[in-house]
Amino acid sequence: MKKWLSILFAAVLILSLFAGCSNSEKSTSSKDKKSDNKTAQKVEGKLTIWTFFGQVKDMAAEFEKKYPDAKVEVKIFPGDQYQTKLLNVLQSGKGVPDIFDLERGYIDKFINSKYVVNLSDMGAEDLVKDYVPYVQALGRDAKGDVRAISDHSSPGGFWYIKENAKKYLGTDNPDEISAMVDSYDKIIELGKKVNKESNGKVHLISHFGDIYNIEAYNTKPWVKDGKLTIDPAWKENYKVQQEIFNNDVDAKLEFFSAGWGNAINDGSVVLTAMPAWASFMVDNKDDKAKDKFGVAATPKGFYMGGTYRSIYEKSENKDLAYKFIEFIAGKEWQQHNLEATGNMPGLLTVYKDNLETFKSPMFGDQNILKPYYETVKDIPGLKPDKYGEEVLSKWRKVAGQGIKDKDDINNVIEKFKKEVKNTFPELNVD
Amino acid sequence: MRKSSINKSQFGFYFVVPYFITFLIFGLTPIIYSLYLSFMKWDGFSDPVFVGLANYTRLLQDTFFLKSIGNTLIIWVLSIVPQLILALILAMILNEKFIRGKHFFRAVFYFPNIVTPVTLGVLFSLMFDWQTGSVNKLLMGIGLIDDPVNWFNSPWLARLIVAGVIMWQYFGFNMLVFIAGLQSIPHELYEAAEVDGASRWDIAIKITLPLLKPVLLFTFITSIIGGLQLFDAPLMLGNGPDNSTLTMVMYLYQTAFKNFDYSYGAAIAYAIFVIILIFSLISIKFSKMNKVEQ
Repeated sequence: MKKWLSILFAAVLILSLFAGCSNSEKSTSSKDKKSDNKTAQKVEGKLTIWTFFGQVKDMAAEFEKKYPDAKVEVKIFPGDQYQTKLLNVLQSGKGVPDIFDLERGYIDKFINSKYVVNLSDMGAEDLVKDYVPYVQALGRDAKGDVRAISDHSSPGGFWYIKENAKKYLGTDNPDEISAMVDSYDKIIELGKKVNKESNGKVHLISHFGDIYNIEAYNTKPWVKDGKLTIDPAWKENYKVQQEIFNNDVDAKLEFFSAGWGNAINDGSVVLTAMPAWASFMVDNKDDKAKDKFGVAATPKGFYMGGTYRSIYEKSENKDLAYKFIEFIAGKEWQQHNLEATGNMPGLLTVYKDNLETFKSPMFGDQNILKPYYETVKDIPGLKPDKYGEEVLSKWRKVAGQGIKDKDDINNVIEKFKKEVKNTFPELNVD
Repeated sequence: MRKSSINKSQFGFYFVVPYFITFLIFGLTPIIYSLYLSFMKWDGFSDPVFVGLANYTRLLQDTFFLKSIGNTLIIWVLSIVPQLILALILAMILNEKFIRGKHFFRAVFYFPNIVTPVTLGVLFSLMFDWQTGSVNKLLMGIGLIDDPVNWFNSPWLARLIVAGVIMWQYFGFNMLVFIAGLQSIPHELYEAAEVDGASRWDIAIKITLPLLKPVLLFTFITSIIGGLQLFDAPLMLGNGPDNSTLTMVMYLYQTAFKNFDYSYGAAIAYAIFVIILIFSLISIKFSKMNKVEQ
């Protein structure tokens, strides 16, 4: 208890130190931006934020640094019970935070409910006008109004150990590698070669499931006007995945499985398709991953996950909450976040500003924003709906089993329709 | 005299009130609320709409639910049979006078019961991971198999692993119950049998087992309710190929708390309640028959 008290006390002291700094900063710039200062002075009060994501603490600290009169209390609920907890307080209307985080996987249910503020009415269209298209679209409700905003994008790429790439692909140049794998046919051919040359010990990619991750948001939405629509691309992809599986192009290591994480570090997989935020999977003890990795573009741009923030409809601190949303949607925070954590920005302008300059120790001299920027800006902006994620996960499951069992695509589609119909009886699946 | 006893009974009433209040709030209210929900359509976000018996008619045609009942029963049978046999054999061995370190072994065999099922599920899923798991490495190391077995890609192997987890968790507990049962058998019977020249095998079959029958039945019945509520360990191991390890309660959890179909989830909960009720009635009937026999 005593230890906690002393930590708390120290934290208060440090925070007040920061507060002191920004106060004096503001007072020096007050002459230049009088009106800004006027609004800044109004920023006071106490905000409560619920999240499942630890880094929100830093976000709150930076916000408090900028607005010393504001206090932000962050409550972190790790694990997948977060959304149930959140829904419970929303239903009861008691103890609801002013701002709550929503994960991409279930954002649709919350932003299409009566519990969140319409941010478009508060001026959020301005905040997201320079955003990566897919990032801003995911925060929109069925009518197209902004209800949640993220401070980052989550683009993915092929990560590789440079030494390994040189050995098996003949180069470690990201542009050359991107060109070598810019279609699935090329991936299959290259994969066969890698497999042969390494006597089956090394594989080009981790899992045929990488194709789902890449295609997930490059295909037509699963449900349109109450009807299940299977994009013909999924049939093509099924064939590609069968080829990958049958020819051992993949190491058969499922995404985020134990062996998958090992393969990133030991090089038994040459190209690992993973999002920019997953750098914690790299073993970087004593800086041993320094200048070890490169990142190349995948055949199509893809993203994975994303944390969005909404304001509670009945919050008494809506203005302060909006100020917070405005802060995280701004350049200042996103630049800081990029530098501090390597999380990719949501603003295209922050991408552009850092395109030629941003370096990450793990990637040596590579301008890693480049491959991400090239692919992320073209990912279609689609509004989330109730079905998308759930139906996709059913397709992953059924098609994944079909590939392992060497099942015919028509059987797979029948099984898939049965699963969808069972979970969503209201849908027309024929 | 009579007057004072009436007064005293009032205090007894006060003593039981806290329990009933707690039960009313945390037990009965959710039970009734679930029943109410099962006649609604509600996703937790919009207001509930009355739909009558729609959730129940949907349930009757739900092949996935039917499959989950089948899975639960299969996994239960696969786990209970070896579990009881193992527990009984160990109990009989550990009840022998000449065995040294009985208490140590009793404690060790009971340990898995202390570990939470979630931990066991994670442990087994790592052990049986087909590429990095220790089981495949061990089997390959001693030359039993050439290529790693993809355990969770076969419906029956997946079910066997789930059953294995349950068996491993509960055999120690049942063993203790059996030991207690064994110790309550009068020594005179054994001594009389020995005097009459009965072999150890005869004693086990003709004295121990028949006298242990009530205890056996007790463990069997108590395992029915637990077995039908199978949830946490299989959840950690996944649905299995073709949903082969999807149990009833897992299906309820996925429907209510993953898909947020609370109302249908409530209907599933009531269906599970009815199924467990039926099995419990059957087992009560059994135990009554047993008493009549005795």
